[in-house]
Amino acid sequence: MHIPDGFIDAKTAIAAAALSAAGVGLALRQARRHMPRKNVPLMGLAAAFIFAAQMLNFPVGAGTSGHLIGAVLASVLLGPAAAVIVMTAVLSVQCLLFADGGVSALGANIFNMAVMGSIGGYGIYAAVHRFCGGARGRLLAAAFASWCSTVLASICCAGELACSGTVPWGAGFPAMAGVHMVIGLGEALITAMVIAAVDRSGFQTRENDQAVPAGHYGEILTFGPLIALGLALFVSPFASPWPDGLEKVAAMLGFEHKAAAQPVLASPFADYRIPGVTSAPAATAFAGAVGTVVVFLLSLLLARTLSPVSAERRPAAQG
Amino acid sequence: MIPAIEVRDLRFSYHDEKAALHGVSFSIQEGESVALVGPNGAGKSTLLQHLNGLLPEKFGPNPAVAIFGRPVSTESLDETHRKVGFLFQESDDQLFCPTVHEDVAFGPQQFGHGEAEISRIVRDSLGKVGLQGFDDRIPHHLSAGEKQRVCLAGILACEPSILVLDEPTSDLDPRSKRGLIALLKSLSVTKVIASHDLELVVQLCPRTILLDAGHAVADGPTIRLLADEALMLEHGLEKPHSLQHGHPHGNTSSNPNLFT
Amino acid sequence: MVLHDLVDHYRRDDSPIHRLPTGLKFTAALAVVAIAIAVPLPEGWFWLGLLTAFLMTAAGVSRLPPSFLARRLLLLEPFVIGAAVLALFRPHGLSVFMSLLARSTLCLLAMILLSATTPFASLLGTIRKIGVPEILVSVLALMYRYLFVMIDEADRMRKARSSRTFKAGRARSWESSAGVIGQLFVRSAGRAERVCGAMRARGWR
Repeated sequence: MHIPDGFIDAKTAIAAAALSAAGVGLALRQARRHMPRKNVPLMGLAAAFIFAAQMLNFPVGAGTSGHLIGAVLASVLLGPAAAVIVMTAVLSVQCLLFADGGVSALGANIFNMAVMGSIGGYGIYAAVHRFCGGARGRLLAAAFASWCSTVLASICCAGELACSGTVPWGAGFPAMAGVHMVIGLGEALITAMVIAAVDRSGFQTRENDQAVPAGHYGEILTFGPLIALGLALFVSPFASPWPDGLEKVAAMLGFEHKAAAQPVLASPFADYRIPGVTSAPAATAFAGAVGTVVVFLLSLLLARTLSPVSAERRPAAQG
Repeated sequence: MIPAIEVRDLRFSYHDEKAALHGVSFSIQEGESVALVGPNGAGKSTLLQHLNGLLPEKFGPNPAVAIFGRPVSTESLDETHRKVGFLFQESDDQLFCPTVHEDVAFGPQQFGHGEAEISRIVRDSLGKVGLQGFDDRIPHHLSAGEKQRVCLAGILACEPSILVLDEPTSDLDPRSKRGLIALLKSLSVTKVIASHDLELVVQLCPRTILLDAGHAVADGPTIRLLADEALMLEHGLEKPHSLQHGHPHGNTSSNPNLFT
Repeated sequence: MVLHDLVDHYRRDDSPIHRLPTGLKFTAALAVVAIAIAVPLPEGWFWLGLLTAFLMTAAGVSRLPPSFLARRLLLLEPFVIGAAVLALFRPHGLSVFMSLLARSTLCLLAMILLSATTPFASLLGTIRKIGVPEILVSVLALMYRYLFVMIDEADRMRKARSSRTFKAGRARSWESSAGVIGQLFVRSAGRAERVCGAMRARGWR
């Protein structure tokens, strides 16, 4: 999902960079104000850990293999704000050291995977874990949130590509979302298995065994407007009848003029809509909802398999 | 005379586990080299970490450790870190900067030295450990012996008056070990060395404290303690080869007669 | 390990390009990327050609083996092509496809040249100077320091596990990899404690 250079045009790159700068800035402010100082080495080591974990292959079959992304894993283990910083570090090193993901697209990649992936994912994790407590609920929430986070990030990615006029929404959205609904299954499975392994080792994560601590809702809420803005800019122009946000902003800032001079890069989006996708938004929404429910049920099954002892652990956790 | 290190009735336990130290007391004069020996889990590392304030996490009203007469507490933590240099067991944990230069410069930077002063200190410290010109090297690409030397340079750069070393030779091959021993011998500061390597203890430290299960079991001249086979075996250690009668390496400096 | 070869081999070689100040190289690479993504395309091919010539010259002067550059490019090109294929689903798809390919390949070459001729530590110095917040720079520096330590550790743990595993089913191998990752996290948290101790012992608060 790392967008290379050349796929994101100037206005989208700048908008995404501004959003992710704001997100990372918020996370850093949280880190300065509320985290113990020793979290700095912890975040550094965790970033190296996520990077190393991403290099371990999980065989899928037919000679292909998948790997972890880790946004939800990081936010469950370290808390959402720390996860944003950790994922930002991982993406920056991948870009600067390995040329994996473009520099001009770094803002977009950070927004999709670090901000959206960690905060959005953690929000879902927190909401689900609130209703399903205990060790088993934790795994269920983590698995489901990992899948959602992966799909969400890919939808943002499709939105950015469409805003840039690179890949039409009608082709990009079904392709990206479809592929990542499958990849997300792997992500969910790995994340839940890793968290189960960490819990088994007796390691105390930040909020082990208690439902979401109150402080984290605050953290999620501060990031909320940012995420909403990102979705409004990158995704809603295509997914809803609202006027396209980014085009409006671009017009206000004067990019529109430049964009109009580049017919290949930024032509009106309406051109590429594939009939059948836009004509049946309800069908798309229905398919998405069914997929989400199925994944939730699968997560439930997974949590039961991975944590057969949750009934014994819950009273102990309350004590 | 004010002792360099004064430890009075030091007791400590990790969170909810059983106590790690049960009232340890000793004092060390300036310029002494003292070894801390004992089996695994005796509390050596825990004790060492108290000497520069890494433990306890919260200081009580009556600190058990004093450095040059000043009790180690929250207020004196800065001063303690400056006076007591700490070499950790694993050098990878201690070399946390991307390059050798940055790592050695880390301490002086925290103490607020100027740019020119820092480069001078770094040059001197790398010189002392025999690694001139290693500035731009990446720690990951160094050998175990070189890493240990860089760690030592990083500590010397803080210009401490006391060196605390936790298992300094555990990762080293014999040649690097000899080099490190010679290097430590050449430094005139007060030294406290925890080690399983009793040959090193014999060569570097005239005095030894034997720790077992959180108690200081014995404290006295190294040669006398380590030559006491019954005492050694009782506490999970072995009499070093160089103290065996007629051992070729039993040189004059480790001759028992000199200390009795 | 493959990664080490790809990343660290040529950083410390010597050439006029290696000796250029890091800030200058960084700015130049960013400028190349900015031009490459911003020029309008049927008219801008001339500019892309110019950039190609510039990068080729730089590559020549840097004395990096062409095979190394080619290997790095080929390793990343599949991602570019994979994403670009989606562009074929539109009017003038082929020309968009070609322009995406040209732009991204140019940018990739620029970034590979930068990263292969510049020690990452001095790149960190540059991003600190341009005002990236201190905490993020510290996290990046620590990450870079322990990246390869951790990758080696993961590799050792994976080998140790697979040497004790006799049934090599897919489920088993997932379980084993997840176990390695879990254990790796616990170890890295432990290491973070010790690193923190070492930093505090040298006056960091």
